[in-house]
Amino acid sequence: MIKLPPIHIGKLSLLLAILVWLALLFVDLVRLIGVLNQLESGIAVEFTWILQTLYFICVYGFYKYSINKSSQSDFLNLIWRGASTGIFAVAIFVIIDLFKSSLGQSKLAKDPFLDTFFYHVEFGLITIFVISTALLWQHLILYQKSKRIVKQWQAYEIAMLISMFVVFFDRGNPEYTFFFSLALLGILGTILSANLKWIPYLTFKEKWKSLLFLAIIIFSIAYLIWNTYVSTEDIITPVNLSGSLFILALFWFILVYAVLSFLVTLFNLPTSSVFEQKLTEAINFQRLSQSIQPEENEEEVLDILMDSCMSAAYADAAWLEMTSEEFPDGFTQERFIDRKTREEISELIQHNKTVQDWASEKRPDNLSPITLKVIHPKYESLLLVPLVINKSVFGKIVLCKEVRDGFNKEMLNIISTFARQACIAVENHRLLNQAILNERYQEELKIAQRVQKSLLPTQLDHNQNFDICAYSNAADEVGGDYYDTYKLDEDRYVLIIGDVSGKGTSAAFHMSQMKGIFQSLIQLNLSPSDFMIKANSALSKCLERNHFITASIFIINTAQQTICHSRAGHVPTLFHQKSLNKSEYLQIDGLGLGILRNMQYEKHVVEKTFTYQSGDALVLFTDGIVEAKNEKSQQFGFERIRTLLEVYHELSPQEIQTKIIDSLHAFVGGDRLIDDDYSMMVVKFT
Amino acid sequence: MLTIETLQENGHDILFLKGEVDASNSVILDEAITKLVTAGSSSILVDGTGLEYISSAGLGVFMSYLEDFQEKEIDLKIYSLSDRVFEVFKILGLDQLMQIYPDKKTALLA
Repeated sequence: MIKLPPIHIGKLSLLLAILVWLALLFVDLVRLIGVLNQLESGIAVEFTWILQTLYFICVYGFYKYSINKSSQSDFLNLIWRGASTGIFAVAIFVIIDLFKSSLGQSKLAKDPFLDTFFYHVEFGLITIFVISTALLWQHLILYQKSKRIVKQWQAYEIAMLISMFVVFFDRGNPEYTFFFSLALLGILGTILSANLKWIPYLTFKEKWKSLLFLAIIIFSIAYLIWNTYVSTEDIITPVNLSGSLFILALFWFILVYAVLSFLVTLFNLPTSSVFEQKLTEAINFQRLSQSIQPEENEEEVLDILMDSCMSAAYADAAWLEMTSEEFPDGFTQERFIDRKTREEISELIQHNKTVQDWASEKRPDNLSPITLKVIHPKYESLLLVPLVINKSVFGKIVLCKEVRDGFNKEMLNIISTFARQACIAVENHRLLNQAILNERYQEELKIAQRVQKSLLPTQLDHNQNFDICAYSNAADEVGGDYYDTYKLDEDRYVLIIGDVSGKGTSAAFHMSQMKGIFQSLIQLNLSPSDFMIKANSALSKCLERNHFITASIFIINTAQQTICHSRAGHVPTLFHQKSLNKSEYLQIDGLGLGILRNMQYEKHVVEKTFTYQSGDALVLFTDGIVEAKNEKSQQFGFERIRTLLEVYHELSPQEIQTKIIDSLHAFVGGDRLIDDDYSMMVVKFT
Repeated sequence: MLTIETLQENGHDILFLKGEVDASNSVILDEAITKLVTAGSSSILVDGTGLEYISSAGLGVFMSYLEDFQEKEIDLKIYSLSDRVFEVFKILGLDQLMQIYPDKKTALLA
């Protein structure tokens, strides 16, 4: 299959334009032969007109494409394109003229064929120049597109297209229709020429350049018009090409637009600095409002703020003073001012009454920049700009000018806007950093939570003589409740439940210490009271002075059906005896671990051994359950737990646990949270 | 919520506790006691009439002064605790270590 090369519109239209131009030249030369030899060449004059119109369209197509395609479409480049085409066209015209005059009175100079050739060259060049320039103007006119302007331009384009065909009707003899159309197109072109909005966007320097280029274009237009229409020598041209309505109307349009542009640019020169200033302010504002990235620092924003304020106020010098705690010795940034002068002026400011009033403003968010007059050999007026974040002043910018009353109201307005925007950016930056930090802490806490969960046993040691289950819930991410089991031998099992004073992270650390102490001491096969004494002695070295741990320990001997128990300040354990059908708290004295940190502790710990029967149950828990409060500030209390066990003692440990926890939540109220850690362990003997 | 009022009476410093002592405000209690100690008080009475609840963190505050007061021979007496609050002291075993009395009169006589 043959692959068609992609159609290149630019090249295609250029090729077509050249071909059409050559055809036009050939047709006219043929016709010339006919005229000279007084023969009817048999070529209708319409044929030339068709070729002429085709040529217009091809050149239009080529430029339309190539101007749209050129990426560098800034104004100066566009105007320079027009100017360079103008220079080129004028240069060719001049060369042709020179060539003609160099021929002098020779026979060749009068040669009609040569004349016709030159005439066609000139026609081609004029067409290229006017069409390309008109299309460049189109870009400038449509710089700030509105529906109205686009419509106007389209109307003009259609009118121009029609004008190409006028020649078919008036048959080359300018009549009323011709002049009428010319006037109409002229008016349309003039209306379009009022769109000069691109000019203010040129910088001062660019304006000078564009003035030069526009001058070149105007000169080229003038020269080409003069050369084509005014200084026409009597050359025999078979068909008038340059007299086309299309060319004439375009000439008018590009001339009017060039002249208007030139004049407007010229008159805009003195005010261009104002426009530039406003543009810089807008850009600065945009830079300030872009929030700072977390990894960047605030100084960059303050830098931009300083630059913006200085340029907005045309300040001669400035400095920035930070009063926040991050810069205890005062962070300063100086611009065009030395330390000595700054300190001199600072001194002056501090003794100024207005500034003292200003600085003691109760509500800093109402603070606006103030101007000051100072008596200083160098600077005569000052502007103080407060930097306010979160209702407190964290710094100020001082702008200095060498002239008296150098700051006007507009400057104050724009500067206070800058300052506010910069402060918002700084504040956002701080908040963002804070948020990132918080997120990291959250992550850390999640890790702590995971680690702590793993400290509680997943498998509880027991044999077929009893069932056991346990549950723990922390008020915060981590908590201070602890329970554990240990298998001493086939018949003896240890249960422990503990509660660290306080809650949260500190409690969690102590809870992990408790786990370590339990797991190491219990292997020594200690009795419950010995365990407490040793644990107290170990914890005395680990706990902060105002922290303590409460614990209850049970050694269950399933062979003898006995329980040996010791309590260290922990909430009493509930014991249900099936034979009596009664639940009671185990009464036993005992002091919390870490309260007495000497040998005195031994006096405060006791142990008790009692027997159990099949069907008896033990419920171990922490004070979080007892002290859980409902909205009436009532505590869940020991009695409720006791009653619950008496009612549900027949159920399995898991079911008893669920009943107690459900009833706890029901008591507290569905939505309310229990603000303490709570845990429980339920044992049922089989 | 916890409010503490202090009153000096016949050489005793009396702390009136009102409200609840928990982890969030136990520092206030600690500061109040430290202030009396640095002021050179030798007898501190704690009036618990208005005390509704004390958490383990609050108990920790009293506990932390035990040895210190023994050394410096400072008397710390607590009286008029509600049953519920006294129960908390008792469970922890602090009733054996601290001087806790039913009312002000017995506290002063002891």
